[in-house]
Amino acid sequence: MKRMVGLFLVLSVLVVIPALDLAFAQGDEPGEYLDRRVIIWNLFFRMMAVAFTVGAVVAGTMMWIVWRFRESNPKAKPTAYEGTDW
Amino acid sequence: MSGHSNWPEWIYIAVVVALMTWVGAEAWNAERLVEEVPEGAEVIKVTGQQWFWTFEHEDGTIEIGELHVEVGKAYKFEIMSKDVIHSFNIHDYVVLMDAVPGRINTVWFAPTDVGTHDIQCREYCGLIHYNMRGTLYVEEPSS
Repeated sequence: MKRMVGLFLVLSVLVVIPALDLAFAQGDEPGEYLDRRVIIWNLFFRMMAVAFTVGAVVAGTMMWIVWRFRESNPKAKPTAYEGTDW
Repeated sequence: MSGHSNWPEWIYIAVVVALMTWVGAEAWNAERLVEEVPEGAEVIKVTGQQWFWTFEHEDGTIEIGELHVEVGKAYKFEIMSKDVIHSFNIHDYVVLMDAVPGRINTVWFAPTDVGTHDIQCREYCGLIHYNMRGTLYVEEPSS
């Protein structure tokens, strides 16, 4: 449990606190001259990069699970739940 | 449960929470950047009605169906509607904001290049919606 708390402390320092800091730093100061096309495209591009990376990892994990735990795998061992009478 | 480690689940939850936080912060920041109007932006009152756009500049000049602006200057549109819901769209500059009766919605942009661009209504607003168009003329600064 202590390690779990430690993990979340590290995570919060790395991710959560900077994000909150950024979120609450907004003031009423005037904006800059910027090209909204660039801002919106950049956001879209980064979100898509993350989405495709996560999608690849999830799909890869699922394919590995199906391959590794298929019945015909020589290393497959029946679990106690499935019983040992094969 | 003995003989079973929860670590992969906890790591998975942490990764998901971190990703969601990052996505939220990035989106929030982009929205903030896009919504903050720069100082000195000229206000243009945009009125949508079936089926044309009217533009009123700060100096009182009124244009119908066309809008003349200067390159490199910021403009803040105050968008309203006289009848039904319309949506003011300059596709080439990713400007899109609903025109709602009884409300004033705002959006700003700063044209970067001289040229002409289409203005259109992006909310179905009746029979001639398809032709509720205008033209944006981005010109060299006059002074």
